[in-house]
Amino acid sequence: MSDRQDVVILGGGLNSLVAAFDLARAGRRPTLLERRPTVGGIAVTEEIAPGFKAPRLMHLGGPLRGDLLADLALDRHGVTWLESPVLMAAQDGSGRGLVLHRDPGKSAESIAAFSKKDAERWPKFEETVGRIASAMGGLLDLIPPDIDKPAWKEVFPLLRTGKKVRDLGRKDLYRVLRWMPMAVADLAAEWFESEIVRAALASRAILGQAAGPWSAGTAANYFLRAAQDPRAVPSVKVPQGGLGALTQAIAAAAKAAGATIRTGVEVTGIEVKNGAVQAVRFARGDRIETVSVMSGLDPKRTFLNLVSPVDLDPAFRKKVQNIRARGVTAKVNLALGGLPEFTAFKGASSGAAADGGSPLRGRILFGTSIDDLERAFDASKYGQMSEHPYLEATIPTLLDPTLAPAGKHVMSVLVQYAPHALREGDWNSRREQLGDRVVKTLATAAPNLPGLVERGQVITPKELEDDWGLTGGHLFGGEESLDQIFTMRPVLGWARYRTPVRGLYLCGSGTHPGGGLTGANGRNAARALLADRR
Amino acid sequence: MAQRYDAIVIGGGHNGLVHAAYLAKAGKKVVVLERRHVLGGAAVTEEVFPGFKFSVFSYVVSLLRPEIIRDLELPKHGLEILPLDGTFTPLEGDYLWRMDDHGRSIREIARHSRTDAETYEEFGRAMQALCRFVRPILSMLPPDPGKPDIKDLLNLLFLGKRLKNLPYEDRYNLIQLMTMSAADFLDQWFETPALKGTMSASGIIGTFLGVRSPGTAYVLLHHYMGEIDGAFRAWGFAKGGTGAISNAIGSSAAALGVEIRREAPVARIIVKHGKTVGVALESGDEIHADLVSSSLDPRMTFIRLLEPGAVSDEFLEEVKHYKYRGSSGKVNLALDGLPDFTCLPGNGAHLRGAISISPSLDYMEKAYDEAKYGAFSRRPYMDCVIPSLTDPSVAPPGKHVMSCFVQYAPYNLKEGPQDWDRQREAFGDTVVDTLAERCPNIKKLILHRQVMTPLDIERITGLSEGNIFQGELSLEQLFFLRPVAGWARFRTPVRNLYMCGSATHPGGGIMGAPGRLSALEVLKDWKRGIA
Repeated sequence: MSDRQDVVILGGGLNSLVAAFDLARAGRRPTLLERRPTVGGIAVTEEIAPGFKAPRLMHLGGPLRGDLLADLALDRHGVTWLESPVLMAAQDGSGRGLVLHRDPGKSAESIAAFSKKDAERWPKFEETVGRIASAMGGLLDLIPPDIDKPAWKEVFPLLRTGKKVRDLGRKDLYRVLRWMPMAVADLAAEWFESEIVRAALASRAILGQAAGPWSAGTAANYFLRAAQDPRAVPSVKVPQGGLGALTQAIAAAAKAAGATIRTGVEVTGIEVKNGAVQAVRFARGDRIETVSVMSGLDPKRTFLNLVSPVDLDPAFRKKVQNIRARGVTAKVNLALGGLPEFTAFKGASSGAAADGGSPLRGRILFGTSIDDLERAFDASKYGQMSEHPYLEATIPTLLDPTLAPAGKHVMSVLVQYAPHALREGDWNSRREQLGDRVVKTLATAAPNLPGLVERGQVITPKELEDDWGLTGGHLFGGEESLDQIFTMRPVLGWARYRTPVRGLYLCGSGTHPGGGLTGANGRNAARALLADRR
Repeated sequence: MAQRYDAIVIGGGHNGLVHAAYLAKAGKKVVVLERRHVLGGAAVTEEVFPGFKFSVFSYVVSLLRPEIIRDLELPKHGLEILPLDGTFTPLEGDYLWRMDDHGRSIREIARHSRTDAETYEEFGRAMQALCRFVRPILSMLPPDPGKPDIKDLLNLLFLGKRLKNLPYEDRYNLIQLMTMSAADFLDQWFETPALKGTMSASGIIGTFLGVRSPGTAYVLLHHYMGEIDGAFRAWGFAKGGTGAISNAIGSSAAALGVEIRREAPVARIIVKHGKTVGVALESGDEIHADLVSSSLDPRMTFIRLLEPGAVSDEFLEEVKHYKYRGSSGKVNLALDGLPDFTCLPGNGAHLRGAISISPSLDYMEKAYDEAKYGAFSRRPYMDCVIPSLTDPSVAPPGKHVMSCFVQYAPYNLKEGPQDWDRQREAFGDTVVDTLAERCPNIKKLILHRQVMTPLDIERITGLSEGNIFQGELSLEQLFFLRPVAGWARFRTPVRNLYMCGSATHPGGGIMGAPGRLSALEVLKDWKRGIA
């Protein structure tokens, strides 16, 4: 069987699901193949102990691009959104708490305890980031332009975004140009003097990156994320049931549109003949003939593991090998017998959220100075895990009690830095140590936490690679450094979702505009495939 | 009665002198005002100890623009460049010694890694292709993306077209170079730690960045851009020390009619009705002129020398954002003999080149890690030269001078910059200890030692925070962003006040390009009747 209308989609991550949805809607017949038992990739919610459901990997993300969200009509597939007015809480070394809200005025009130000056500047910063990030948002929905022979159809959206950026005015334009290559630590220091506020901003830029707040170019990471979610601190909005419910709903929408989804199927090769895709091969030896393959896997896995070297130009293959994908993030999920008590946020003390609810409903940051975050990063440069890691934790059950038995909670913790390539020992022998360090770090702010842990789960970069198929254990299919974004993602000249193999497309976060669970990659890639009428 | 000139140049560093010479060449009456008794700014030779002459700060030359050497007839005014042959990296029980003799370098690298030796040639070819692309940018007026005019658009079009015509591989390399870290970039090409460590050094010299910081790869190119007497990729000493370059430019400028005043510190720039009319000296004298060009950095020019209110708060805010962060020190040693390296004993030719303490990328990055938190590196990166081997005039017979460039020595110590006065000798000891681990006889040889911390560099040369390039050469401070976006074309918000130092495009190093490019812009304004 081989029909021009058929497309095989590899991997069942969010972007693959979006591509399946878009292709099906356009009348193609996509078949999505996922190796794990469930689709969702890094956005899955799974039981970690009887009655406790946790976000296995990512706990927050998105939002999905506006048009996409509208097209998916997720409410028809059972999605109920939960949104927290509290975005981030952090407790510094002396036990003082910072709570950042959706409402800039309320954030400013909390910031004032650390610095009056910072509190005054906060609303202005929120506004500046919102303005610049909104203007940049259009870039995410673009197929990066072809420098050699730009197609007129694609020049217009580019000009439109260009115009939006120009409309910001000269002052903002200069700012954008000056800020992008900077270290996020410098950006934060230009605006704020208190360490905890600086760290709160920097944390967004370094999550998932093999970079610290002093790494040049991390300001661009900050704005890349802000372009997806145009506010100073990322929003906290998930469906009831967690991100896994979101990917399940997209899968349902794709199926409803006509896509076929198969799980537990491992693809071991892409067969190429005369430079064009011919078939995909399975672990058990059978194959499906097809002329179009859309790979949601990362570019290294796609080209280095699935395509035979004889079918690739060696120069291109070398460039794929050169893509940096050094995973530095691990995940710890905890099933807790009760709610951990943070010294700074006890009861309804001054640290409580403005609406009277818990200040811990959003992200909880551990690593409250630029130096703390940078020191955590330093270790990873030499292949060591951080002695005092930077953590981004959430307690999803505060927003969504259905995830755990009554009165109990789950805690989801992203941990940095845990380098994929350890210089001493391996992850099998050091997994426990990582878990212990995380619990110890959590206990510095919430002393009763260790006693509440009923079950723990540690997912190291090794599992990210072995179980999820992420090369190097990198969450975003390759680092989002200045030389690996936009027209250079994944490889200069091949940023338009097409590849040197005819009929083979990429749609994962290893393509423009990177990670972040926006669905933009999947949608852009589907558009690229549909534009290539053959 | 105030004296009158067409133009006043503040600062007698090499850029100030080049600038003045070009203006005088066009028939203008120019005076250069230098604060110190010696010309050259950071490019000076001084007899620090009797009989021992040191290039106190800047010590090698590579990028001095050939057009400047020609236009100002510098060889006629005594400029002579002596070759600096190769780079010697001592290691534990071994060494890496790259020479200017290409074949020998390749054989030496092959001793460490065969594949690296093969790659080295390919790498050199790739870099040279990019040099040919980048070189014209050094002589180009930066465009202003905020209000591009026809000429800018043509220039950008020209750049765009050249970029488009660049073969794909070169374009790929160029984009990587512009954005990657030196370490990541070199990791793609090579495997020998010492080779990568030593090559990465050119990416971080004078910046407060580590070899793993993105943006440091670009400076690798500069290493391939040296153009002494047209020879690609050569580094050299000036005979008589770096000060001889400044003196040659000064002599050429004087011959063109420039008046040079030493020990004439400027107290402020006089602005009347929004227009620059002259300067007031610390002595109280006033000098008037149609225009003033400052070769000092923006902090000195706009905050120290201009009266408050002369420029808008918004502009001042941008000036304050401009980053200096001096990160290097200099230790000058007067030696009773030559250092003897354990890994390669004797007085061989390896001592005539640069001696680089850079055994691996990790070593380099660890040196940076300490500096990030406000301490000097316990085991720093060092680039040492012994100019007396090539130019015996700088030391008494049988004796030597050794100049050690040391990084990292952060201006902003944890305890504050003033603490350098307390930590100076400890820093000097660290440098000597680091050397002594590789040439144990060095301690016995030292007759005198001069330790220059970033604080000293600031105090003596006036370079803010001791930054040898008048501000970091990081991506956000280059090209049309240097020193302030919208003001990268040597003009300033104050009429008839210009900038001509390393804080302007294309930046620091003994290039002279800012001095020349700015002079050409001033002359344009003059012609238009604006200045």
